[in-house]
Amino acid sequence: MTETEATTEESWLVRYGREHVPHLLVIAFLALYPGLYTLAVGLSLPAPLGWVPDLLYAVLPRVDTMIVVLYFGLFAMSFDFVSGYTGYLSFGHAVFFGTGAYTVVLAANGLLPFVPSGTPFLLLLVLAGLLAVALAFAIGAVSFRLSGVYFAMITLGVSQVVYVFVRDWDYVGPNPKDGISVSFDLHPGAFEIGVPFVDALGLGIGKLTGDTLAIAGLELSTVEVSYYCIGLVVLVCYFAMQRVIHSPFGKVMLAIRENEERARAVGYDTYRYKLVAFAVSAFFAAVAGGLFAGYSRAVSPDETFFFLVTGDALLVSIIGGFGTLAGPLFGTWFDELLREFLSKEGTGGGLLPFLQEYLPQSVLDAVILNGMTVGEAVDTFLNGHASLYLGLLFVLFVLFVPNGLLGTVRERAGGRVSKRVAARLRSRGGTETARGTASEDD
Amino acid sequence: MSSSDAPADDTSGVDTTTETDGETDSGAGTPADPLLAVEGVHSYYGESHILEGVSLDVNEGEVVALIGRNGVGKTTTLRSILQLTPPREGHVHYRGEDLVGLGTNEVAQRGVGWIPEDRRVFSALTVEENVRISVPKGGDVDAAVARVYETFPALEERRNAEAGALSGGQQQMLAIARGLVGENDLLLIDEPSEGLAPQIVADVADAIADASREATVLLVEQNLPLALDLADRFYVLDNGQVVATGDTDDVSADDDDLRGYLTA
Repeated sequence: MTETEATTEESWLVRYGREHVPHLLVIAFLALYPGLYTLAVGLSLPAPLGWVPDLLYAVLPRVDTMIVVLYFGLFAMSFDFVSGYTGYLSFGHAVFFGTGAYTVVLAANGLLPFVPSGTPFLLLLVLAGLLAVALAFAIGAVSFRLSGVYFAMITLGVSQVVYVFVRDWDYVGPNPKDGISVSFDLHPGAFEIGVPFVDALGLGIGKLTGDTLAIAGLELSTVEVSYYCIGLVVLVCYFAMQRVIHSPFGKVMLAIRENEERARAVGYDTYRYKLVAFAVSAFFAAVAGGLFAGYSRAVSPDETFFFLVTGDALLVSIIGGFGTLAGPLFGTWFDELLREFLSKEGTGGGLLPFLQEYLPQSVLDAVILNGMTVGEAVDTFLNGHASLYLGLLFVLFVLFVPNGLLGTVRERAGGRVSKRVAARLRSRGGTETARGTASEDD
Repeated sequence: MSSSDAPADDTSGVDTTTETDGETDSGAGTPADPLLAVEGVHSYYGESHILEGVSLDVNEGEVVALIGRNGVGKTTTLRSILQLTPPREGHVHYRGEDLVGLGTNEVAQRGVGWIPEDRRVFSALTVEENVRISVPKGGDVDAAVARVYETFPALEERRNAEAGALSGGQQQMLAIARGLVGENDLLLIDEPSEGLAPQIVADVADAIADASREATVLLVEQNLPLALDLADRFYVLDNGQVVATGDTDDVSADDDDLRGYLTA
């Protein structure tokens, strides 16, 4: 009896694994990333290849940057959840990110009524999400009466109103324009991710205040611990959103994107579906904002409520693939990688310090035009112009890769990547195909 | 209420009515209460007046054809019944209840199905998902899917294909199949033969004939032989008004009066 149970359980696991190979690969890569980064950057190669570690240092995003990829990627995915799947561009999505971020900081500083300063971080995230849900219902109740550009404008307008309000809201702190930080007096400890109320089963996040960890001979820094903890939350949120997308509810969202009239004529109250989709996406946007606040312990209106925060989410969604859910995370990854590569700071590596170090002095001093040397040119073109190149790249993406990174891969593969890989594996693996296999239609 | 001014329902071939603004009172409670009674409907797109007092009846079990040139308001009539283009004047009674003022989804929930022009299937969903999404809440989804595949075996072969990848005829079949699983008592079918090859038109006609055994059908069609073949009665629409009505048995597709309404 137990034997058959074991085999069915194993085959279920194996089948699940096979159907999610790309997911598992991406998760495995992300899980190994801090180690790979340390290895790659710390390489010491013999003389002719001595530059390789430095180049890798210049190209690879730091683990610190990867944390941004995770929480901002979650925000971008939540933006894609409503905008990419129902077709309603939520241009004011930053309002939910900001709600999440400010909820965490205000609560930690004891400024949120009925919420004690020591409330476990995960509960704060849930609270932030619920506040965002309430806000989404309020905004959506009005804005979903309209469609297209009017919807986008209303959400944008509301979020800008909130932005202006928060900028001048001196309840949050003495200088609301510059934002607020978590007080070390009121909330000295790190925000912990783990089982609420059980200190031993949680790990603190944050660069300065977070926990370090030593397991299996590995020493994880505060940044690495934060990376894994935040990654875990993002992973759970991703699977939750993916579950909704693949449910009948998600099919109705797609139907609304394709032809809302038709969806109504089939009998769906599309208004309610849109509202719920908006609220779900607001929840996860707030969780992303909360993670940001928990990690950085400081928030400002410009990093949270400002409309360019939504703009960034839109940008990475288009780069990663609109309406693909995971795409925006890859888009954020790509965006941050380039941003760091093109940034002027020496701390995170980047192209500029690398060129300055490796181009021979004679090349740097060579004059190109009107007395401008190569060194000056490198400095002029690379110093602090990351946004310019990203803007150009964005235009090129829209023109030549309209489906984005993941969207293009899906198009080439002829369907969702995990589905295609599973089908490929199945046809190669031969006989033990599961019942009800997805047939390979073109 | 208004005077009883029902459209003539005689059997003398094409009957040209002069009624342009008739508020038809079908007389509630009489045994011949129609399933659908459109009464003096005026509809607009913005400021353009499209329907100028359309009245028509559809009785339970009938197939009624609505014919006329492009741009005379046939599709708008269907949209007005569905409340996608809510009438500014007039009534749409379905089983005695006025649909004007209801939401489209509420109209659909009362059993009115729409098979739109240009075969609007949800192209990003698979064939099967298209069928499943059309089954009303609480309906037996698996039974409905099985029934569709029984009627349209061609769809079963492509059940996991994205609907957008189907041929035109298959998309039309899928659209009709979706109308059927909706447990609809009234199907509004808009130009099903448009843009299809003749052989496929015959298949689609079969599909509509199958559908009409389960539901009452209001069919908008410009293909006169097809419309007369499928329908029991017809209405001719011109310039937003019903200009003629009759029994399809009493006219032929080369009837000059009828053809006159269809050619520009």
